[in-house]
Amino acid sequence: MWQPECFKRDMIGQLRAVQVLKLGKSKAGLVHSTYGFNCMKFLSKAMAITWKDVLSEARSKETIPSVLIFAVLVIVIFNFAFGAGPEQMKLIVPGILWTTFVFAGMLSLNRTFVQEKEQGCLEALIICPIKRHDIYICKTLGNFIFLTVIEAISLPVFVVLFNLPLSVLPMLIVITIMATIGFIAIGTLFSALSVNTKAREMVLPILFLPVVVPVILSAVEASKLVLAGGSWSSIASWLQIIAAFDVIFLVVSYLIFEYVIEE
Amino acid sequence: MENAGYLFAAYALVWVTVFGFILILLNQQKKFRQDLESLNATLKENDTSSGDGS
Amino acid sequence: MNTSHKTKLGLLALSAALMIWAHYMVFVYVPTEAVMGIVQRIFYVMVPVAWLAMFSTFVLFIASIAYLKTRKSSWDAVAYSAAEIGLLFTTLAIVVGMLWAKPIWGVWWTWEPRLTTTLVLWLILLACLMVRKVANDPSRGSIFAAVVGIVAFIDVPIIGMSTTLWRGIHPGGIIFEGGLAPPMLQTLLVSLAAFTVLYVLMMVLRVTVKNNEITIEKLKTLR
Repeated sequence: MWQPECFKRDMIGQLRAVQVLKLGKSKAGLVHSTYGFNCMKFLSKAMAITWKDVLSEARSKETIPSVLIFAVLVIVIFNFAFGAGPEQMKLIVPGILWTTFVFAGMLSLNRTFVQEKEQGCLEALIICPIKRHDIYICKTLGNFIFLTVIEAISLPVFVVLFNLPLSVLPMLIVITIMATIGFIAIGTLFSALSVNTKAREMVLPILFLPVVVPVILSAVEASKLVLAGGSWSSIASWLQIIAAFDVIFLVVSYLIFEYVIEE
Repeated sequence: MENAGYLFAAYALVWVTVFGFILILLNQQKKFRQDLESLNATLKENDTSSGDGS
Repeated sequence: MNTSHKTKLGLLALSAALMIWAHYMVFVYVPTEAVMGIVQRIFYVMVPVAWLAMFSTFVLFIASIAYLKTRKSSWDAVAYSAAEIGLLFTTLAIVVGMLWAKPIWGVWWTWEPRLTTTLVLWLILLACLMVRKVANDPSRGSIFAAVVGIVAFIDVPIIGMSTTLWRGIHPGGIIFEGGLAPPMLQTLLVSLAAFTVLYVLMMVLRVTVKNNEITIEKLKTLR
């Protein structure tokens, strides 16, 4: 029987995958029309795909460690590039933080569908008894977990290296989480798109960067205010813009995702 | 009147671009029409020759 | 969407007439603005060009949705043309904006909200056209371009909001928010109408050429 390679990686992943594939074979069509009413069933299926991603990453350790090293490198390089006194540094730090997160995010997003494509997993995903746009939710959730892990580790490194006061952390964390949702909302859509193009690694940034301009801009400005000792109310309007972006692009990407991955 | 140059440049630029674009389009259109005719001709030729052969 | 030759000629005549009228109003009829002087007349070309950039993005949005739903190559042709002409007008809007910024603010480029938004839109439209070329096969390229086209239009207001909050209201806004003098408003409206008709003409021509291209590609695969 034909089996995508990435499913073979580990026992649990394999079992889950076979389960998902079997469902697709036995009830093809039927499942499609009835599963919409069965929320629990959907959730377990969606989780199976997200869980497959997480497990596969936990075993292979392909993405997160390398992206983390990359993030730390970017921080160090920027420190040399802008090597300024502590006062000027305060103005530059938010820019460095967000450049790091954007580039790290793009590296990680680039991987999500490349792996699937290389190992024939994408076809398996498409024939799964799950609606195309629900694959978007699973993949977005997986990307969110990856990026959050990366940021959760690099943010403290950042705070230490640039001697930031610990009191700014709660606000920075909220900004980071909201901006991350914006990144992955559109990033998952575009990474699924770019995997079917000739120059994958080039296409994602060209599509992704201009579209997330509002998120980057808002995140940098909000972080600047936070580092300058601003309160929650002072960053509220920036957070509103990020929130609007998050909601709009989660919905839009969910609606148009199916067109991107059809064969 | 000192800044009239900018005004002139702005209008000239818009007009040159628009006319250039339209000229390129008309040129392409002419080429495509010729292509289309030659293709139709060869298709017809193929049709009649294959019809004779069988 | 193969418009007849007569309609094209009619459009050409209408746009030529409107253009002549608009230029008469811009260079002869409208009084010179007191503060900015003669260079203020760039305004009557900058606004229509920027409007067409936005309008073209809207057309791209509609055509993209229609293409994804119907898969008709004629909608793809409209989407492609709207993206290309949109790129043309965003480029013009940026350059004309620079020619306006230099004498008024003394710099070629300023990160003013509207200029910044136009620049980002320009980058997205460029990506929209590029993604066709790099897709694994042409039909996929059309779908990808449609997806980017939809995202582009939805993103514009958010970019506008963020850049406005970033820079605050720019001087130009204050000048024109006070309301335009009636002759200036009339001139602007005529100019807007003239450029919009020109846009329709350009779109019709571009779509015709694109449709021919698609037909030829089909015939070539037949041969």
